[in-house]
Amino acid sequence: MADGVAIGSESASVPGRRLPSARRSDRRFKWLLVTPAVLLILAISIYPLLFSIWVAFVNFDFQIPGHAFIGLKNFDQVIVDPVARYSLLVTVGLTLSDVAVEFLLGLAVAMTLANTFRGRGILISIIIVPLFISPVVVGQAWALLLQRPFGPTNYLLGLLLGHDVTIGWLTQWPWNFLALILADVWQWTPFMFVILLAGLTAIPPHVFEAAELDGVGRWQVFWHITVPYLAPMMLLAVTFRLLDAIRLFDTIFIMTGGGPGTQTYSTSFYLYTIGFAQFHLSRATAGAWIFLVLTLIVIVFLVRRLLKPEAK
Amino acid sequence: MASTAPRRRRRRRVPIGRILVIGLFLAFVLAPLYWVFITSIKPSDDYLAVPPIWFPGQPTLVHYTAALFAYRGLQGLVNSLIISVSATVLSCLVGSLMAYSLARFNTGGQHLSFWVLSQRFLPPIAIILPLFLNYRLVGLQDTHIGMILAYTVFTLPVSVWMMFAYFRQMPRSLEEAALVDGCTRWTSFWRVAVPLAAPGVVAAAVFTFIACWTEFFFALILTSRNAFTLPTVFRAFLSFQGAQYGEASALAIVSLVPSIALGVLVQKHLVRGLTLGAIRG
Repeated sequence: MADGVAIGSESASVPGRRLPSARRSDRRFKWLLVTPAVLLILAISIYPLLFSIWVAFVNFDFQIPGHAFIGLKNFDQVIVDPVARYSLLVTVGLTLSDVAVEFLLGLAVAMTLANTFRGRGILISIIIVPLFISPVVVGQAWALLLQRPFGPTNYLLGLLLGHDVTIGWLTQWPWNFLALILADVWQWTPFMFVILLAGLTAIPPHVFEAAELDGVGRWQVFWHITVPYLAPMMLLAVTFRLLDAIRLFDTIFIMTGGGPGTQTYSTSFYLYTIGFAQFHLSRATAGAWIFLVLTLIVIVFLVRRLLKPEAK
Repeated sequence: MASTAPRRRRRRRVPIGRILVIGLFLAFVLAPLYWVFITSIKPSDDYLAVPPIWFPGQPTLVHYTAALFAYRGLQGLVNSLIISVSATVLSCLVGSLMAYSLARFNTGGQHLSFWVLSQRFLPPIAIILPLFLNYRLVGLQDTHIGMILAYTVFTLPVSVWMMFAYFRQMPRSLEEAALVDGCTRWTSFWRVAVPLAAPGVVAAAVFTFIACWTEFFFALILTSRNAFTLPTVFRAFLSFQGAQYGEASALAIVSLVPSIALGVLVQKHLVRGLTLGAIRG
Protein backbone atom coordinates (compact mmCIF):
# COMPACT_ATOMS: atom_id res chain seq x y z
CA MET A 1 0.00 0.00 0.00
CA ALA A 2 2.59 2.55 1.05
CA ASP A 3 4.60 1.41 -1.91
CA GLY A 4 5.00 4.78 -3.54
CA VAL A 5 5.64 8.23 -2.09
CA ALA A 6 9.34 7.55 -1.76
CA ILE A 7 11.01 6.47 -4.93
CA GLY A 8 12.68 3.12 -5.06
CA SER A 9 16.28 3.62 -4.09
CA GLU A 10 17.26 0.23 -5.44
CA SER A 11 20.10 0.81 -7.82
CA ALA A 12 19.67 -0.68 -11.27
CA SER A 13 22.87 -2.64 -11.25
CA VAL A 14 23.91 -4.25 -14.47
CA PRO A 15 24.26 -8.01 -14.21
CA GLY A 16 27.87 -9.00 -13.59
CA ARG A 17 28.24 -11.24 -16.62
CA ARG A 18 28.02 -8.35 -19.05
CA LEU A 19 31.03 -6.71 -20.55
CA PRO A 20 32.48 -3.34 -19.45
CA SER A 21 31.99 -1.93 -22.95
CA ALA A 22 28.29 -2.74 -22.70
CA ARG A 23 28.20 -0.84 -19.44
CA ARG A 24 29.70 2.22 -20.98
CA SER A 25 27.15 2.17 -23.78
CA ASP A 26 24.45 1.66 -21.14
CA ARG A 27 25.59 4.81 -19.44
CA ARG A 28 25.37 6.74 -22.67
CA PHE A 29 22.03 5.12 -23.46
CA LYS A 30 20.40 6.04 -20.17
CA TRP A 31 21.37 9.70 -20.45
CA LEU A 32 20.32 9.77 -24.07
CA LEU A 33 16.86 8.61 -23.03
CA VAL A 34 16.29 11.44 -20.56
CA THR A 35 17.75 14.13 -22.83
CA PRO A 36 14.63 15.11 -24.83
CA ALA A 37 12.46 15.47 -21.74
CA VAL A 38 15.11 17.40 -19.86
CA LEU A 39 15.69 19.75 -22.79
CA LEU A 40 11.97 20.41 -23.14
CA ILE A 41 11.60 21.22 -19.46
CA LEU A 42 14.67 23.44 -19.56
CA ALA A 43 13.35 25.34 -22.57
CA ILE A 44 9.70 25.76 -21.62
CA SER A 45 9.85 25.90 -17.84
CA ILE A 46 13.30 26.57 -16.39
CA TYR A 47 14.51 29.12 -18.90
CA PRO A 48 11.36 31.27 -18.58
CA LEU A 49 11.70 31.09 -14.80
CA LEU A 50 15.29 32.34 -14.95
CA PHE A 51 14.34 34.93 -17.55
CA SER A 52 11.62 36.17 -15.24
CA ILE A 53 14.15 37.01 -12.52
CA TRP A 54 15.49 39.64 -14.90
CA VAL A 55 11.97 40.79 -15.80
CA ALA A 56 11.17 41.31 -12.12
CA PHE A 57 14.03 43.77 -11.69
CA VAL A 58 13.43 45.92 -14.77
CA ASN A 59 10.55 47.96 -16.09
CA PHE A 60 9.40 45.66 -18.86
CA ASP A 61 7.15 47.44 -21.29
CA PHE A 62 6.34 46.60 -24.91
CA GLN A 63 6.09 50.29 -25.75
CA ILE A 64 9.31 51.44 -24.12
CA PRO A 65 12.51 49.82 -25.43
CA GLY A 66 15.50 49.32 -23.17
CA HIS A 67 13.78 47.90 -20.10
CA ALA A 68 15.42 50.08 -17.46
CA PHE A 69 16.71 48.42 -14.31
CA ILE A 70 14.64 49.56 -11.35
CA GLY A 71 15.83 47.24 -8.59
CA LEU A 72 13.29 46.14 -6.01
CA LYS A 73 10.64 48.66 -6.98
CA ASN A 74 8.39 46.03 -8.57
CA PHE A 75 8.48 43.89 -5.45
CA ASP A 76 7.84 46.95 -3.34
CA GLN A 77 4.79 47.91 -5.37
CA VAL A 78 3.25 44.47 -4.93
CA ILE A 79 3.98 44.31 -1.23
CA VAL A 80 2.39 47.68 -0.47
CA ASP A 81 -0.66 46.93 -2.63
CA PRO A 82 -3.53 46.14 -0.22
CA VAL A 83 -5.28 44.14 -2.95
CA ALA A 84 -2.24 41.84 -3.19
CA ARG A 85 -2.30 41.11 0.52
CA TYR A 86 -6.07 40.74 0.48
CA SER A 87 -5.84 38.29 -2.45
CA LEU A 88 -3.40 36.19 -0.46
CA LEU A 89 -5.92 36.09 2.36
CA VAL A 90 -8.66 35.04 -0.07
CA THR A 91 -6.40 32.32 -1.48
CA VAL A 92 -5.55 30.92 1.94
CA GLY A 93 -9.15 31.14 3.14
CA LEU A 94 -10.64 29.52 0.04
CA THR A 95 -7.91 26.87 -0.16
CA LEU A 96 -8.36 25.80 3.45
CA SER A 97 -12.17 25.75 3.23
CA ASP A 98 -12.12 23.87 -0.07
CA VAL A 99 -9.68 21.23 1.10
CA ALA A 100 -11.31 20.79 4.51
CA VAL A 101 -14.79 20.27 3.07
CA GLU A 102 -13.49 18.03 0.29
CA PHE A 103 -11.55 15.93 2.76
CA LEU A 104 -14.45 15.39 5.18
CA LEU A 105 -16.99 14.77 2.44
CA GLY A 106 -14.64 12.53 0.49
CA LEU A 107 -13.89 10.51 3.61
CA ALA A 108 -17.58 10.14 4.45
CA VAL A 109 -18.46 8.94 0.95
CA ALA A 110 -15.43 6.66 0.77
CA MET A 111 -16.38 5.02 4.07
CA THR A 112 -19.92 4.34 2.91
CA LEU A 113 -18.58 2.71 -0.24
CA ALA A 114 -15.70 0.79 1.34
CA ASN A 115 -17.55 -2.55 1.37
CA THR A 116 -18.48 -4.26 -1.84
CA PHE A 117 -22.12 -4.49 -2.81
CA ARG A 118 -24.05 -4.72 -6.01
CA GLY A 119 -23.99 -1.51 -8.03
CA ARG A 120 -20.93 -0.14 -6.24
CA GLY A 121 -18.88 -0.02 -9.44
CA ILE A 122 -21.44 2.11 -11.23
CA LEU A 123 -21.76 4.43 -8.25
CA ILE A 124 -18.01 4.97 -8.22
CA SER A 125 -17.99 5.61 -11.97
CA ILE A 126 -20.60 8.34 -11.53
CA ILE A 127 -18.92 9.92 -8.53
CA ILE A 128 -15.57 10.36 -10.29
CA VAL A 129 -17.04 12.08 -13.35
CA PRO A 130 -16.27 15.66 -12.16
CA LEU A 131 -12.55 14.87 -12.22
CA PHE A 132 -12.60 14.67 -16.01
CA ILE A 133 -14.32 17.99 -16.64
CA SER A 134 -12.60 21.27 -17.38
CA PRO A 135 -12.73 23.64 -14.38
CA VAL A 136 -14.08 26.23 -16.78
CA VAL A 137 -17.02 23.99 -17.59
CA VAL A 138 -17.53 23.29 -13.89
CA GLY A 139 -17.60 27.02 -13.18
CA GLN A 140 -19.99 27.51 -16.07
CA ALA A 141 -22.28 24.73 -14.86
CA TRP A 142 -22.47 26.14 -11.34
CA ALA A 143 -22.98 29.64 -12.67
CA LEU A 144 -25.94 28.32 -14.66
CA LEU A 145 -27.31 26.51 -11.63
CA LEU A 146 -26.97 29.47 -9.26
CA GLN A 147 -27.38 32.50 -11.52
CA ARG A 148 -30.23 34.86 -10.82
CA PRO A 149 -32.84 34.89 -12.29
CA PHE A 150 -32.10 31.96 -14.54
CA GLY A 151 -30.87 29.22 -12.21
CA PRO A 152 -33.27 26.97 -10.31
CA THR A 153 -31.39 27.24 -6.99
CA ASN A 154 -33.24 30.21 -5.55
CA TYR A 155 -36.55 28.73 -6.64
CA LEU A 156 -35.82 25.44 -4.90
CA LEU A 157 -34.60 27.20 -1.78
CA GLY A 158 -37.81 29.23 -1.86
CA LEU A 159 -39.89 26.04 -1.90
CA LEU A 160 -37.83 24.66 0.98
CA LEU A 161 -38.03 27.79 3.15
CA GLY A 162 -41.57 28.81 2.21
CA HIS A 163 -40.69 32.37 1.15
CA ASP A 164 -39.07 34.07 -1.82
CA VAL A 165 -35.30 33.76 -2.02
CA THR A 166 -33.38 36.32 -4.08
CA ILE A 167 -29.75 35.54 -3.36
CA GLY A 168 -27.24 36.91 -5.84
CA TRP A 169 -25.00 33.87 -5.72
CA LEU A 170 -22.28 35.26 -7.90
CA THR A 171 -22.35 38.88 -6.82
CA GLN A 172 -23.25 39.05 -3.14
CA TRP A 173 -21.06 38.46 -0.11
CA PRO A 174 -20.80 35.81 1.38
CA TRP A 175 -22.74 33.84 -1.22
CA ASN A 176 -20.17 34.42 -3.95
CA PHE A 177 -17.54 32.70 -1.81
CA LEU A 178 -19.95 29.91 -1.05
CA ALA A 179 -20.57 29.49 -4.79
CA LEU A 180 -16.82 29.27 -5.47
CA ILE A 181 -16.42 26.70 -2.70
CA LEU A 182 -19.38 24.70 -4.02
CA ALA A 183 -17.87 24.48 -7.49
CA ASP A 184 -14.46 23.46 -6.15
CA VAL A 185 -15.94 20.94 -3.75
CA TRP A 186 -18.03 19.49 -6.55
CA GLN A 187 -15.02 19.01 -8.76
CA TRP A 188 -12.44 17.82 -6.26
CA THR A 189 -14.26 15.82 -3.58
CA PRO A 190 -13.99 12.81 -5.92
CA PHE A 191 -10.22 13.23 -5.77
CA MET A 192 -10.20 12.76 -2.01
CA PHE A 193 -12.79 10.02 -2.35
CA VAL A 194 -10.77 7.97 -4.82
CA ILE A 195 -7.53 8.11 -2.85
CA LEU A 196 -9.14 7.51 0.53
CA LEU A 197 -11.19 4.65 -0.90
CA ALA A 198 -8.01 3.03 -2.18
CA GLY A 199 -6.57 3.42 1.31
CA LEU A 200 -9.66 2.00 3.00
CA THR A 201 -9.86 -1.08 0.82
CA ALA A 202 -6.18 -1.75 1.50
CA ILE A 203 -6.76 -2.14 5.25
CA PRO A 204 -6.64 -5.87 5.97
CA PRO A 205 -10.18 -7.00 6.90
CA HIS A 206 -8.99 -9.19 9.76
CA VAL A 207 -8.13 -6.06 11.73
CA PHE A 208 -11.78 -5.05 11.72
CA GLU A 209 -12.90 -8.60 12.44
CA ALA A 210 -10.63 -8.80 15.47
CA ALA A 211 -11.98 -5.48 16.74
CA GLU A 212 -15.52 -6.70 16.25
CA LEU A 213 -14.81 -9.89 18.19
CA ASP A 214 -13.42 -7.80 21.05
CA GLY A 215 -16.62 -5.74 21.04
CA VAL A 216 -14.86 -2.46 20.22
CA GLY A 217 -17.28 0.41 19.48
CA ARG A 218 -17.57 1.96 16.04
CA TRP A 219 -15.99 5.29 16.96
CA GLN A 220 -13.11 3.54 18.62
CA VAL A 221 -12.60 1.40 15.54
CA PHE A 222 -12.60 4.58 13.46
CA TRP A 223 -10.11 6.43 15.64
CA HIS A 224 -7.82 3.57 16.55
CA ILE A 225 -7.85 1.48 13.38
CA THR A 226 -9.16 3.37 10.36
CA VAL A 227 -7.43 6.70 10.99
CA PRO A 228 -3.94 5.32 11.74
CA TYR A 229 -4.07 2.94 8.77
CA LEU A 230 -5.36 5.68 6.50
CA ALA A 231 -3.03 8.43 7.74
CA PRO A 232 -0.43 8.22 4.94
CA MET A 233 -3.17 8.33 2.29
CA MET A 234 -4.86 11.23 4.05
CA LEU A 235 -1.61 13.16 4.13
CA LEU A 236 -0.94 12.45 0.48
CA ALA A 237 -4.44 13.39 -0.66
CA VAL A 238 -4.48 16.60 1.38
CA THR A 239 -0.99 17.59 0.22
CA PHE A 240 -1.82 17.14 -3.45
CA ARG A 241 -5.08 19.00 -3.09
CA LEU A 242 -3.54 21.88 -1.15
CA LEU A 243 -0.85 22.40 -3.75
CA ASP A 244 -3.45 22.47 -6.52
CA ALA A 245 -6.02 24.53 -4.66
CA ILE A 246 -3.50 27.32 -4.08
CA ARG A 247 -3.56 28.01 -7.84
CA LEU A 248 -7.27 28.80 -7.81
CA PHE A 249 -8.09 30.73 -10.96
CA ASP A 250 -10.46 29.16 -13.47
CA THR A 251 -13.69 29.10 -11.48
CA ILE A 252 -13.12 32.66 -10.28
CA PHE A 253 -12.50 33.81 -13.84
CA ILE A 254 -15.75 32.25 -15.03
CA MET A 255 -18.06 32.66 -12.04
CA THR A 256 -17.31 35.96 -10.35
CA GLY A 257 -14.65 37.57 -12.51
CA GLY A 258 -12.96 38.51 -9.24
CA GLY A 259 -15.93 40.67 -8.33
CA PRO A 260 -17.74 42.45 -7.02
CA GLY A 261 -14.84 44.85 -7.28
CA THR A 262 -11.81 42.93 -6.12
CA GLN A 263 -13.68 40.92 -3.50
CA THR A 264 -13.02 37.44 -4.89
CA TYR A 265 -9.48 38.04 -6.17
CA SER A 266 -7.28 35.03 -5.54
CA THR A 267 -3.54 35.57 -5.83
CA SER A 268 -3.40 33.97 -9.26
CA PHE A 269 -6.31 36.08 -10.40
CA TYR A 270 -4.74 39.23 -8.97
CA LEU A 271 -1.42 38.57 -10.73
CA TYR A 272 -3.24 37.76 -13.95
CA THR A 273 -5.11 41.05 -13.78
CA ILE A 274 -1.95 43.04 -13.03
CA GLY A 275 -0.03 41.34 -15.81
CA PHE A 276 -2.53 40.82 -18.59
CA ALA A 277 -5.30 43.35 -18.04
CA GLN A 278 -3.17 46.27 -16.85
CA PHE A 279 0.03 45.10 -18.56
CA HIS A 280 2.29 45.78 -15.57
CA LEU A 281 4.29 42.76 -16.65
CA SER A 282 7.27 43.38 -14.40
CA ARG A 283 5.17 44.00 -11.33
CA ALA A 284 3.16 40.84 -11.97
CA THR A 285 6.38 38.87 -12.41
CA ALA A 286 7.76 40.19 -9.13
CA GLY A 287 4.48 39.24 -7.48
CA ALA A 288 4.63 35.79 -9.06
CA TRP A 289 8.08 35.30 -7.54
CA ILE A 290 6.85 36.26 -4.11
CA PHE A 291 3.97 33.83 -4.57
CA LEU A 292 6.35 31.13 -5.83
CA VAL A 293 8.58 31.48 -2.78
CA LEU A 294 5.58 31.33 -0.45
CA THR A 295 4.37 28.22 -2.29
CA LEU A 296 7.81 26.65 -2.04
CA ILE A 297 7.78 27.11 1.73
CA VAL A 298 4.46 25.29 1.89
CA ILE A 299 5.75 22.57 -0.45
CA VAL A 300 8.91 21.95 1.54
CA PHE A 301 6.93 21.82 4.76
CA LEU A 302 4.27 19.46 3.38
CA VAL A 303 6.50 17.22 1.30
CA ARG A 304 8.89 16.73 4.20
CA ARG A 305 5.97 15.55 6.32
CA LEU A 306 4.82 13.36 3.47
CA LEU A 307 8.17 11.63 3.19
CA LYS A 308 8.74 11.20 6.90
CA PRO A 309 6.67 8.05 7.46
CA GLU A 310 8.60 6.38 4.66
CA ALA A 311 11.93 7.04 6.33
CA LYS A 312 11.09 4.84 9.29
CA MET B 1 -28.55 -20.25 3.03
CA ALA B 2 -27.73 -20.66 6.67
CA SER B 3 -24.47 -18.82 6.32
CA THR B 4 -25.87 -15.84 4.47
CA ALA B 5 -28.72 -15.19 6.87
CA PRO B 6 -26.81 -13.39 9.64
CA ARG B 7 -24.80 -11.38 7.14
CA ARG B 8 -27.93 -10.23 5.46
CA ARG B 9 -29.41 -9.16 8.79
CA ARG B 10 -26.32 -7.13 9.60
CA ARG B 11 -26.40 -5.52 6.21
CA ARG B 12 -30.00 -4.52 6.62
CA ARG B 13 -29.28 -2.74 9.88
CA VAL B 14 -26.64 -0.39 8.47
CA PRO B 15 -28.02 1.13 5.27
CA ILE B 16 -30.42 4.05 6.02
CA GLY B 17 -27.57 6.43 6.96
CA ARG B 18 -25.39 5.17 4.16
CA ILE B 19 -28.07 5.35 1.52
CA LEU B 20 -28.75 8.90 2.63
CA VAL B 21 -25.10 9.92 2.31
CA ILE B 22 -24.70 8.25 -1.07
CA GLY B 23 -28.06 9.48 -2.35
CA LEU B 24 -27.42 13.09 -1.39
CA PHE B 25 -23.92 13.02 -2.79
CA LEU B 26 -25.10 11.45 -6.02
CA ALA B 27 -27.74 14.17 -6.37
CA PHE B 28 -25.04 16.77 -5.73
CA VAL B 29 -22.86 15.28 -8.46
CA LEU B 30 -25.63 14.88 -11.00
CA ALA B 31 -27.58 18.12 -10.47
CA PRO B 32 -25.23 20.48 -12.37
CA LEU B 33 -24.75 17.94 -15.17
CA TYR B 34 -28.48 17.46 -15.53
CA TRP B 35 -29.20 21.18 -15.52
CA VAL B 36 -26.51 21.89 -18.11
CA PHE B 37 -27.80 19.13 -20.35
CA ILE B 38 -31.39 20.26 -20.04
CA THR B 39 -30.44 23.87 -20.68
CA SER B 40 -28.56 22.88 -23.79
CA ILE B 41 -31.69 21.41 -25.40
CA LYS B 42 -34.22 23.86 -23.98
CA PRO B 43 -35.87 26.43 -26.29
CA SER B 44 -34.78 29.95 -25.33
CA ASP B 45 -38.34 30.91 -24.42
CA ASP B 46 -38.27 28.43 -21.55
CA TYR B 47 -35.21 29.93 -19.85
CA LEU B 48 -36.88 32.20 -17.36
CA ALA B 49 -40.06 30.24 -16.73
CA VAL B 50 -41.21 30.07 -13.10
CA PRO B 51 -41.32 27.37 -11.89
CA PRO B 52 -38.26 26.24 -13.88
CA ILE B 53 -38.91 23.77 -16.66
CA TRP B 54 -37.24 20.54 -15.62
CA PHE B 55 -37.70 18.84 -18.94
CA PRO B 56 -38.42 20.78 -22.13
CA GLY B 57 -41.52 19.72 -24.05
CA GLN B 58 -39.84 20.46 -27.36
CA PRO B 59 -36.12 19.80 -27.15
CA THR B 60 -34.00 21.61 -29.72
CA LEU B 61 -30.48 21.47 -31.06
CA VAL B 62 -30.27 25.11 -32.13
CA HIS B 63 -27.92 25.97 -29.26
CA TYR B 64 -25.44 23.36 -30.42
CA THR B 65 -25.26 24.76 -33.94
CA ALA B 66 -25.03 28.30 -32.56
CA ALA B 67 -22.27 27.36 -30.10
CA LEU B 68 -20.28 25.51 -32.73
CA PHE B 69 -20.63 27.95 -35.59
CA ALA B 70 -21.68 31.40 -34.37
CA TYR B 71 -19.36 31.26 -31.36
CA ARG B 72 -16.54 29.44 -33.15
CA GLY B 73 -16.88 26.43 -30.87
CA LEU B 74 -16.06 24.17 -33.78
CA GLN B 75 -12.72 25.82 -34.38
CA GLY B 76 -11.99 25.61 -30.67
CA LEU B 77 -12.91 21.94 -30.77
CA VAL B 78 -10.63 21.25 -33.73
CA ASN B 79 -7.78 23.24 -32.15
CA SER B 80 -8.25 21.41 -28.86
CA LEU B 81 -8.13 18.08 -30.66
CA ILE B 82 -4.99 18.94 -32.64
CA ILE B 83 -3.18 20.39 -29.64
CA SER B 84 -4.25 17.76 -27.11
CA VAL B 85 -3.50 14.79 -29.36
CA SER B 86 -0.11 16.14 -30.46
CA ALA B 87 0.91 17.09 -26.93
CA THR B 88 -0.21 13.68 -25.66
CA VAL B 89 1.82 11.82 -28.27
CA LEU B 90 4.87 13.97 -27.68
CA SER B 91 4.57 13.87 -23.90
CA CYS B 92 4.18 10.09 -23.81
CA LEU B 93 6.96 9.50 -26.33
CA VAL B 94 9.49 11.70 -24.58
CA GLY B 95 8.08 10.74 -21.19
CA SER B 96 8.34 7.00 -21.75
CA LEU B 97 12.02 7.34 -22.68
CA MET B 98 12.72 9.22 -19.50
CA ALA B 99 10.52 7.01 -17.34
CA TYR B 100 12.28 3.92 -18.62
CA SER B 101 15.69 5.41 -17.99
CA LEU B 102 14.70 6.42 -14.47
CA ALA B 103 13.16 3.04 -13.71
CA ARG B 104 15.86 0.82 -15.18
CA PHE B 105 19.07 2.75 -14.62
CA ASN B 106 18.07 5.05 -11.78
CA THR B 107 19.42 7.84 -13.95
CA GLY B 108 20.41 10.91 -11.98
CA GLY B 109 19.34 9.28 -8.74
CA GLN B 110 16.42 10.78 -6.86
CA HIS B 111 17.40 14.29 -7.91
CA LEU B 112 16.34 13.97 -11.51
CA SER B 113 13.02 12.26 -10.80
CA PHE B 114 12.14 14.78 -8.10
CA TRP B 115 13.17 17.61 -10.35
CA VAL B 116 10.60 16.41 -12.89
CA LEU B 117 8.00 15.96 -10.17
CA SER B 118 8.61 19.45 -8.82
CA GLN B 119 7.45 20.85 -12.17
CA ARG B 120 4.01 19.56 -11.34
CA PHE B 121 3.74 21.83 -8.31
CA LEU B 122 5.04 25.08 -9.73
CA PRO B 123 2.28 27.70 -9.75
CA PRO B 124 1.46 28.21 -13.45
CA ILE B 125 1.28 31.97 -12.95
CA ALA B 126 5.04 31.97 -12.27
CA ILE B 127 5.81 30.27 -15.59
CA ILE B 128 3.20 31.85 -17.78
CA LEU B 129 4.31 35.49 -17.63
CA PRO B 130 7.86 34.93 -18.90
CA LEU B 131 6.68 32.19 -21.26
CA PHE B 132 4.24 34.63 -22.79
CA LEU B 133 7.00 37.22 -23.25
CA ASN B 134 9.31 34.69 -24.87
CA TYR B 135 6.59 33.25 -27.08
CA ARG B 136 5.90 36.74 -28.38
CA LEU B 137 9.59 37.20 -29.03
CA VAL B 138 10.10 34.01 -31.04
CA GLY B 139 6.71 34.00 -32.74
CA LEU B 140 5.15 31.07 -30.89
CA GLN B 141 2.41 33.17 -29.33
CA ASP B 142 -1.04 32.02 -30.51
CA THR B 143 0.33 29.09 -32.53
CA HIS B 144 -0.49 25.41 -32.35
CA ILE B 145 3.19 24.52 -31.98
CA GLY B 146 3.56 26.85 -29.04
CA MET B 147 0.57 25.32 -27.29
CA ILE B 148 1.72 21.77 -28.05
CA LEU B 149 5.15 22.48 -26.55
CA ALA B 150 3.68 24.14 -23.48
CA TYR B 151 1.23 21.28 -22.90
CA THR B 152 3.89 18.66 -23.48
CA VAL B 153 6.06 20.13 -20.77
CA PHE B 154 3.22 20.77 -18.41
CA THR B 155 2.05 17.14 -18.66
CA LEU B 156 5.54 15.58 -18.51
CA PRO B 157 5.52 15.11 -14.72
CA VAL B 158 2.29 13.12 -14.97
CA SER B 159 3.32 10.98 -17.93
CA VAL B 160 6.86 10.37 -16.65
CA TRP B 161 5.82 9.46 -13.13
CA MET B 162 2.93 7.27 -14.18
CA MET B 163 5.01 5.26 -16.65
CA PHE B 164 7.92 5.22 -14.21
CA ALA B 165 5.66 3.38 -11.78
CA TYR B 166 4.76 0.80 -14.45
CA PHE B 167 8.28 0.24 -15.75
CA ARG B 168 9.60 -0.14 -12.23
CA GLN B 169 7.30 -3.00 -11.36
CA MET B 170 8.06 -4.91 -14.55
CA PRO B 171 10.43 -7.84 -14.19
CA ARG B 172 13.68 -7.04 -15.92
CA SER B 173 14.38 -10.69 -16.77
CA LEU B 174 12.58 -10.46 -20.12
CA GLU B 175 14.63 -7.51 -21.27
CA GLU B 176 17.77 -9.23 -20.11
CA ALA B 177 16.80 -12.30 -22.09
CA ALA B 178 16.37 -10.05 -25.12
CA LEU B 179 19.82 -8.56 -24.52
CA VAL B 180 21.36 -12.00 -24.28
CA ASP B 181 19.64 -12.89 -27.55
CA GLY B 182 21.52 -10.04 -29.20
CA CYS B 183 19.02 -7.20 -29.02
CA THR B 184 20.43 -3.76 -28.45
CA ARG B 185 19.30 -1.75 -25.44
CA TRP B 186 17.15 0.28 -27.78
CA THR B 187 15.31 -2.67 -29.34
CA SER B 188 14.82 -4.31 -25.98
CA PHE B 189 13.22 -1.08 -24.79
CA TRP B 190 11.09 -0.61 -27.85
CA ARG B 191 10.20 -4.25 -28.57
CA VAL B 192 10.00 -5.69 -25.06
CA ALA B 193 9.57 -3.07 -22.35
CA VAL B 194 7.08 -0.76 -24.08
CA PRO B 195 4.68 -3.53 -25.21
CA LEU B 196 4.81 -5.03 -21.72
CA ALA B 197 4.01 -1.68 -20.14
CA ALA B 198 1.35 -0.94 -22.77
CA PRO B 199 -1.58 -0.67 -20.32
CA GLY B 200 0.40 1.83 -18.28
CA VAL B 201 1.40 3.80 -21.36
CA VAL B 202 -2.21 3.94 -22.55
CA ALA B 203 -3.42 5.06 -19.13
CA ALA B 204 -0.73 7.74 -19.00
CA ALA B 205 -1.73 8.88 -22.48
CA VAL B 206 -5.39 9.18 -21.51
CA PHE B 207 -4.61 11.21 -18.40
CA THR B 208 -2.29 13.43 -20.41
CA PHE B 209 -4.99 13.96 -23.01
CA ILE B 210 -7.60 14.85 -20.38
CA ALA B 211 -5.19 17.28 -18.73
CA CYS B 212 -4.65 19.06 -22.06
CA TRP B 213 -8.30 18.93 -23.06
CA THR B 214 -9.48 20.57 -19.84
CA GLU B 215 -6.65 23.09 -19.38
CA PHE B 216 -7.65 26.74 -19.37
CA PHE B 217 -5.04 29.04 -17.87
CA PHE B 218 -2.19 28.50 -20.36
CA ALA B 219 -4.62 28.62 -23.28
CA LEU B 220 -6.15 31.84 -22.01
CA ILE B 221 -2.79 33.59 -22.10
CA LEU B 222 -0.90 31.87 -24.91
CA THR B 223 -3.67 31.94 -27.51
CA SER B 224 -6.04 34.48 -28.98
CA ARG B 225 -7.59 34.31 -32.45
CA ASN B 226 -5.76 31.47 -34.06
CA ALA B 227 -4.90 28.58 -31.73
CA PHE B 228 -7.60 29.10 -29.10
CA THR B 229 -8.81 25.89 -27.46
CA LEU B 230 -12.32 24.82 -26.52
CA PRO B 231 -12.23 25.95 -22.86
CA THR B 232 -11.27 29.48 -23.87
CA VAL B 233 -14.40 29.79 -26.02
CA PHE B 234 -16.36 30.10 -22.76
CA ARG B 235 -15.06 33.64 -22.42
CA ALA B 236 -17.76 34.60 -24.90
CA PHE B 237 -20.42 33.80 -22.31
CA LEU B 238 -18.93 35.68 -19.38
CA SER B 239 -21.67 37.26 -17.27
CA PHE B 240 -24.25 36.18 -19.89
CA GLN B 241 -24.78 39.66 -21.24
CA GLY B 242 -26.78 38.24 -24.10
CA ALA B 243 -28.33 35.46 -22.02
CA GLN B 244 -26.66 32.72 -24.09
CA TYR B 245 -27.45 30.07 -21.49
CA GLY B 246 -28.22 27.48 -24.14
CA GLU B 247 -25.05 28.10 -26.13
CA ALA B 248 -22.89 27.96 -23.01
CA SER B 249 -24.53 24.71 -21.95
CA ALA B 250 -24.25 23.15 -25.39
CA LEU B 251 -20.55 23.98 -25.49
CA ALA B 252 -20.13 22.56 -21.98
CA ILE B 253 -21.67 19.27 -23.10
CA VAL B 254 -19.45 19.17 -26.19
CA SER B 255 -16.42 19.70 -23.98
CA LEU B 256 -17.21 17.26 -21.21
CA VAL B 257 -18.48 14.23 -23.10
CA PRO B 258 -15.16 13.14 -24.67
CA SER B 259 -13.06 13.54 -21.55
CA ILE B 260 -15.60 11.80 -19.32
CA ALA B 261 -15.86 8.90 -21.77
CA LEU B 262 -12.09 8.51 -21.83
CA GLY B 263 -11.75 8.98 -18.10
CA VAL B 264 -14.24 6.29 -17.21
CA LEU B 265 -12.44 3.93 -19.59
CA VAL B 266 -9.21 4.15 -17.59
CA GLN B 267 -10.97 4.32 -14.23
CA LYS B 268 -8.88 1.38 -13.03
CA HIS B 269 -5.73 3.48 -13.23
CA LEU B 270 -7.30 6.55 -11.69
CA VAL B 271 -5.60 6.43 -8.30
CA ARG B 272 -2.26 6.14 -9.97
CA GLY B 273 -2.99 8.93 -12.37
CA LEU B 274 -4.10 11.29 -9.64
CA THR B 275 -1.15 10.60 -7.38
CA LEU B 276 1.42 10.42 -10.19
CA GLY B 277 1.99 6.75 -9.53
CA ALA B 278 2.61 7.24 -5.81
CA ILE B 279 -0.17 4.83 -4.93
CA ARG B 280 -1.11 1.59 -6.62
CA GLY B 281 -4.81 1.60 -7.35
